[in-house]
Amino acid sequence: MASVRFKNVDKWFGKTQVLHDINLDIKESEFVVLVGPSGCGKSTTLRLLAGLEDISAGDIYINDKIVNLLEPQHRNIAMVFQNYALYPHKNVQENIIFGLKRAKASRDLIESRLDKASKMLQLQEFLQRKPAQLSGGQRQRVAMGRAIVRDADVFLFDEPLSNLDAKLRNQMRYEIRRIHREYQTTSVYVTHDQVEAMTLGDRVVVMKDGYIEQVGTPMELYLQPKNIFVATFIGAPSMNILDATLYPEYIELEGQKLPLATNLVKTSVPSDGQKVKFGIRPDFFQDEQLISAGEALTTLPNVHIDIIEPLGYDRELNLKLGHQTLKARLDLRSTAREGDTINLCFDMRRAHIFDIETEKNLTI
Amino acid sequence: MVSMELTPEQRESRLGWQLIAPCLGVIGLLIIYPILYNIYLSFFDVKLTGDKIFIGLANYERLLKDAAFYGSVLTTIIYLIGTVVGTTLVALLVALLMNIEFPLRSLVRTLILLPYFAPVISVVFGWQFIFDPVNGIYNHVMVEVLGLAAERHNLIGQPKTALFVVIVFDIWKHFPISYLLIVSKLQSINKDQYEAAAIDGYGPFGRFIHVTLPELYFVLGTLVILRLIWNLNKFEDVYLLAPNVQTLPIFTYYTAFTGIIDQGFAASISVVQFALLAFLIYFYVKKVLKW
Amino acid sequence: MNRKRSLLQNMLLTLAIVAVLFFCLFPFVQILSTSLKHQFDWGNPSLIPVKINLNAYKELLGFVQATEEQIPATVKKLLENPLITPEQREKILAKYRSTSDVFPFPRFFLNTFLLSASAASVSLALAVLGAYAFSRLRFGGRTIIQRSILFVYMVGGVLLMVPLYQMSVKVGLARTVWGSLLSLLLIYIIQTLPVSLYMLGNYFRTIPYSIEEAATTDGCSRLQSIFVIIIPLSVPMLVTVFVYCFIIAWNEFLFASVFLKQYHMFHTLPLALQSLFVSKNAIWDRIMAASMLTLIPVIVCFMFAMRNLSGGLAEGGVKE
Repeated sequence: MASVRFKNVDKWFGKTQVLHDINLDIKESEFVVLVGPSGCGKSTTLRLLAGLEDISAGDIYINDKIVNLLEPQHRNIAMVFQNYALYPHKNVQENIIFGLKRAKASRDLIESRLDKASKMLQLQEFLQRKPAQLSGGQRQRVAMGRAIVRDADVFLFDEPLSNLDAKLRNQMRYEIRRIHREYQTTSVYVTHDQVEAMTLGDRVVVMKDGYIEQVGTPMELYLQPKNIFVATFIGAPSMNILDATLYPEYIELEGQKLPLATNLVKTSVPSDGQKVKFGIRPDFFQDEQLISAGEALTTLPNVHIDIIEPLGYDRELNLKLGHQTLKARLDLRSTAREGDTINLCFDMRRAHIFDIETEKNLTI
Repeated sequence: MVSMELTPEQRESRLGWQLIAPCLGVIGLLIIYPILYNIYLSFFDVKLTGDKIFIGLANYERLLKDAAFYGSVLTTIIYLIGTVVGTTLVALLVALLMNIEFPLRSLVRTLILLPYFAPVISVVFGWQFIFDPVNGIYNHVMVEVLGLAAERHNLIGQPKTALFVVIVFDIWKHFPISYLLIVSKLQSINKDQYEAAAIDGYGPFGRFIHVTLPELYFVLGTLVILRLIWNLNKFEDVYLLAPNVQTLPIFTYYTAFTGIIDQGFAASISVVQFALLAFLIYFYVKKVLKW
Repeated sequence: MNRKRSLLQNMLLTLAIVAVLFFCLFPFVQILSTSLKHQFDWGNPSLIPVKINLNAYKELLGFVQATEEQIPATVKKLLENPLITPEQREKILAKYRSTSDVFPFPRFFLNTFLLSASAASVSLALAVLGAYAFSRLRFGGRTIIQRSILFVYMVGGVLLMVPLYQMSVKVGLARTVWGSLLSLLLIYIIQTLPVSLYMLGNYFRTIPYSIEEAATTDGCSRLQSIFVIIIPLSVPMLVTVFVYCFIIAWNEFLFASVFLKQYHMFHTLPLALQSLFVSKNAIWDRIMAASMLTLIPVIVCFMFAMRNLSGGLAEGGVKE
């Protein structure tokens, strides 16, 4: 187990800078997820930590020791790759113990580690098989086994689940959680899937264009996104971002004046008629007809229902408010139908106001 | 340790140079240097003893006046056109044929490759025998069976007809590799395209013109230009079958090593051939590889 | 398009396939047939020998001494004279064993084999390291090197015959038989090195980088990962490249004739067969039998490496 620290790290590929001043502290045993769209620099960050690429400026520490110049084989890390990267000419057992053998571990140690890992990953039956004879999920488990027997300081995961189908992905997510609970190894996990990020990470790092946008626990990111990018990237369906005008006491949205909640009033910019972006998650809407009396909610009246997508328990409503479109997720009790209008309620304290220029959240 | 001061990427770069160095050394010493040395030699009268006298462009002047050189250039051009066109056409036809399914296809496909992999030396004499004026099957068929010729000819004995035999031999020897590349391209063409074309009302011929040919365009272009390059360098295939067919490499060989040996003059022929080759490679790189 | 073919179409198809096969295979059948025929049978267009003649094979493989019968009777008598010393006897015999008559096939075969195998081995060893470097390591100048290799790969040996010979003369290698053999070995190495580099480079590129990255995080250095990961993964391709280089050297005539013409016992098969053919003691059955015998090892290799060979070549590694 080890701590990891990025201090003012830059990375250039030729003349393009792909990472800008990355600062990140990862505590012992912490599970940190790097998430962002492709090209945001998350994989590069991971590869810098692994030592597969040089850093251009700054320092990387593992256990308070600078590792900038260390080769990957000397960093005591284990890595799980997107395409599994198993050694095709070695069977499952040889794959798993390869690293231990290179480290000249004793035979007893190798056997006990192999035993524990193969039980944990349910690979006992497959130890003599070649990777080509395994299914995708089994291969990913072998890759995982190869990492956990090593007793490495840090586990690195580079989009390990993106080659699996949806069902297997859920199952493997669960196994990764179990492994982390069992081994408590510091882990850095890269993904473009915000669901994986939310479900796996103790903390999540949202990245974009080589910058860290926000670092926080999944709920912090969900409830207090620092800017429009984080707000829309985290959570599905993503947050509605609507054009609005801000006044000291209320916000005007397509001609409707909605009184501001106290937390929004307090932080809002002193301005009369400033154009802003108003953000509210589809999850936070409710059908006015189903509200029990006494809840202090704001109502958005007469919203036109364009399309309804039934998803089982939930129904996703695609709505029209003036010229703008928005989404609401209501539960199955709502009887709204396509073509109707609906009065939507929400808690103004859950809403956000973003600056139209900087896209920063003005309410936190 | 000094190496501790290098970053992983710098160490990787150093390893790269270390690993490629032996190859670069050998290639530099035995290919690049000889190419330059050849140009150097072409300005000298090279004596058999190894002595050299600088004679400027005299070798080239002589070359430009040498009827045998022009004869050789003409032979080379006919040889190149014949083999390139022949190889590509035969390969295309056979590839289209082998793209049809029939029993034992994989066996047939393997057998077709045999001429390409057979050593030149073990097949040229078989071809000699086929065209042998006394015993050969060719003359037997032409004269006795079909009656197309009045008497038996020594085809390989006459440079003109020998060139024709050499071309047929080279097509036989080299079409399999072109065929292999075409057929692997054919198999990668998406079936949907044919079905779409069929729905659009194209018959088999139309499908060939509108679907197959455009897909093969790149492969065929590559094959033509590479075949030109390889065949310009061919020695064994021509010389062993018919030593009297003097394409440029054979002309150079005779000048350099037989009869009145003149290696300076031979060097100047090589330089001309090299210039031609460099032009073809440049064309290949620009038009096909698009660097 | 999956319609059943009509009878006529089937016949045309069969005809076409038979024609292609005939074109490809007839010369081989002809060689085999003639190698088994007696002289009286050569002109007979039938491919099946009237009477099977295995003498050519026996002679080539050294089961029968061909020379004795050609010594005139008078000379034989002379040889029986007890006054002649063994040395004199040998001298007289040697006159009749003119070089073009003696054809020690196994010896030539061995010469060619050793030369080709050594050249292919050295070339392969150099190429594994070189191809690894330019296909998988990042270093400045890599693109230039890759492109230059493609360039030299297309420069044929014929262009280099004069300068290479002159260089060999200059350093004195061409003067001795071992020097000539060394020159030839070096020449075969450079004739095969570019193609080895090219084919292996293309192949190495297809191995996912992450496998090697996994190996480095598992504790291998880059150099170790070549031996632990890359080479074991490339065995079929290494065999293919070796066979390919081997065949290039096995076929080579030009430089062999330049360097070895005067050293009869060191002839390679192409050279030996050519001189046998030109000597006009040319006996078709012997030449054809020798052709068959040079063909067989290649066919064996071919059967062995077929799969990878066609795959590797189709990926764009061709050199002639």
